Amino acid sequence: MSGLADRIGTDRLRQWLPLVTLIVLVIIVGTMQPVFLQPSTLLQLASDTAVLFILATGVTFVIMLGGIDLSIQSMASLASVIVALTVARLGYGAFALAIGIGVLAGLLSGLAHVRLKIPSFIATLASGGVLYSSALVISGERSITLPDTERAYQTWITGTPFGIPNVIIIGLVVLLVAHLLQSHTRFGRYSAAIGAGEPAAYASGVKVSRQKILAFMLSGGFAALAGVVLAGRLASGSPTLAAELLLPSIAAVVVGGTAITGGVGSIWRTLVGALIISVVRIGMTFLGVNIFAQNIVFGVVLIVAVATTIDRSKIPIVK
Amino acid sequence: MVLVLLCVIITIINPNFLSFSNFVRISQAAMIPLVLGLGATFIILMGSIDLSVEGGLTLSTVILSMLVLNGANSNDLGLLAVLIVLAVGAGLGLVNGVIHVHLKVPSFMTTLGVWFIGVGAANALLGGMAIRINDPFIRGLAIERFLGFPRGVWLALGCLVVALVIQNYTRLGRYIYALGGGEELAALSGISVARVRIMAFTLAGIFYAIGGILAAAQLGLGNAQIGNGRLFTTVTAVVVGGTALSGGHGSVLQTLVGVLIVVVLSNGMVLMGVPPSVQIGVQGLMIIAAVALSIDRKLMRIVK
Repeated sequence: MSGLADRIGTDRLRQWLPLVTLIVLVIIVGTMQPVFLQPSTLLQLASDTAVLFILATGVTFVIMLGGIDLSIQSMASLASVIVALTVARLGYGAFALAIGIGVLAGLLSGLAHVRLKIPSFIATLASGGVLYSSALVISGERSITLPDTERAYQTWITGTPFGIPNVIIIGLVVLLVAHLLQSHTRFGRYSAAIGAGEPAAYASGVKVSRQKILAFMLSGGFAALAGVVLAGRLASGSPTLAAELLLPSIAAVVVGGTAITGGVGSIWRTLVGALIISVVRIGMTFLGVNIFAQNIVFGVVLIVAVATTIDRSKIPIVK
Repeated sequence: MVLVLLCVIITIINPNFLSFSNFVRISQAAMIPLVLGLGATFIILMGSIDLSVEGGLTLSTVILSMLVLNGANSNDLGLLAVLIVLAVGAGLGLVNGVIHVHLKVPSFMTTLGVWFIGVGAANALLGGMAIRINDPFIRGLAIERFLGFPRGVWLALGCLVVALVIQNYTRLGRYIYALGGGEELAALSGISVARVRIMAFTLAGIFYAIGGILAAAQLGLGNAQIGNGRLFTTVTAVVVGGTALSGGHGSVLQTLVGVLIVVVLSNGMVLMGVPPSVQIGVQGLMIIAAVALSIDRKLMRIVK
């Protein structure tokens, strides 16, 4: 059975399977529901994907290193609460504050992981709990709606100046920044090196700890940005606003073809993965699948994607 | 030690802590985390992790509430329903084990997927409703008392005894320790690693199902949010008890101590008037502190 899994995971398939899957899915949903292929529906799809994509982008950096960040949904929710509480007083500063706290939270997770040598999934499970608790406390355990007077600050998120929603533009900027970080900086190359083989990277003088902490800071910052955008789109902040987004985000990264073992992957793959998740979600909605039951499908998709992308040569013992 | 110290401090701040009714309250709060923690201990002893606690528990609770005497349909299977639920829990654990072992997917990814599959299935079955449980036996677990403690507490203690026997007096228990201590060595000495792993995940699934039955008894209804936050408490209890995440070190008795620390602390915080929302954050910090202080970590060169 494992032989079969190894064969499915050949390199060529790994590279092109996600894109082919996306195209096939679009064609299937398009033939079932021709409405789906109209420009307005596609724009809607792209806007809906943006938040998921931003979250997934952040966690891509961590997964590239061979780690995982399970605190992103709590961070995004906390960011939405911070924006909702402070936008009246701080104006645009509220957004900067939320993202700054995201970066800080990432720094703390990264320090706990690297300095205290705690496995990343447990460190971020714990820090996610701390963030969730903070969001509950400062919001008074309720959802905070943004009053109309403060919605002017949100137009950079909700506006549609040239027929294209600003959310899509924010998503594209994130894509560009993340691509530059990954392909044109030392951080990006070191990350790939650490993911591909940590002892080798360490022996060649890469400051492994620093790259890891940086990746967690990026993950926290992008998660906070996603929360800010979500708060803008829903005109509210709540400690559970992004609670349903952890699984789809990680699924988007691995469905796109980034290996959970690290070293193999890119932002473009995450973009494809995020679009696949969105198309699947819309397809299921057309088919009338209950929104909570959709988690069954995402759970299965996640396991199948991990099983096909994982690099088994790197882990002699799977724990 | 920590547990005793904690009890002394809380007693000084609020003497009500030592009353019998508070002991009963603590035992009631501890019974579900204990049963869940027992299952998770076996997995963590192997050096793996199980994030599907909430999935198994929620699905079990919901299925139980639909099969016993309830307020939504005319089923009344009684004890047969309990057996079905245990089988469902075992099945979910079996799925975890088979995917993890045969597809070689790391356990935290497998169980993350199964977590959401379980909760999703529970949601699909319910369609957003909550079902009231009228079955006298299930309700009795929480309401009827034996020697002053609810029956559910005795059931949880029974589970503890069973777990102790499995851990100390069966081959499965010894093999689990062997796997956590060093998997190559275990495999070389002729242990079927795949079988032990699958059996351990199945066993854990049964414990989560029992946790689901107790949760159903305690709340008197089945809904899909019943599992929220339980994974967190479970992992906190196991690692605070001193079972090492790297595997090989720990025991179900330490998990009992860990559960009591977590429950006594939150009970103490309630007595001191700390809001429940803060407790999640405190548990998060406890996980980090406990793992950071655990012994085996220095041996690991690469931490992922």
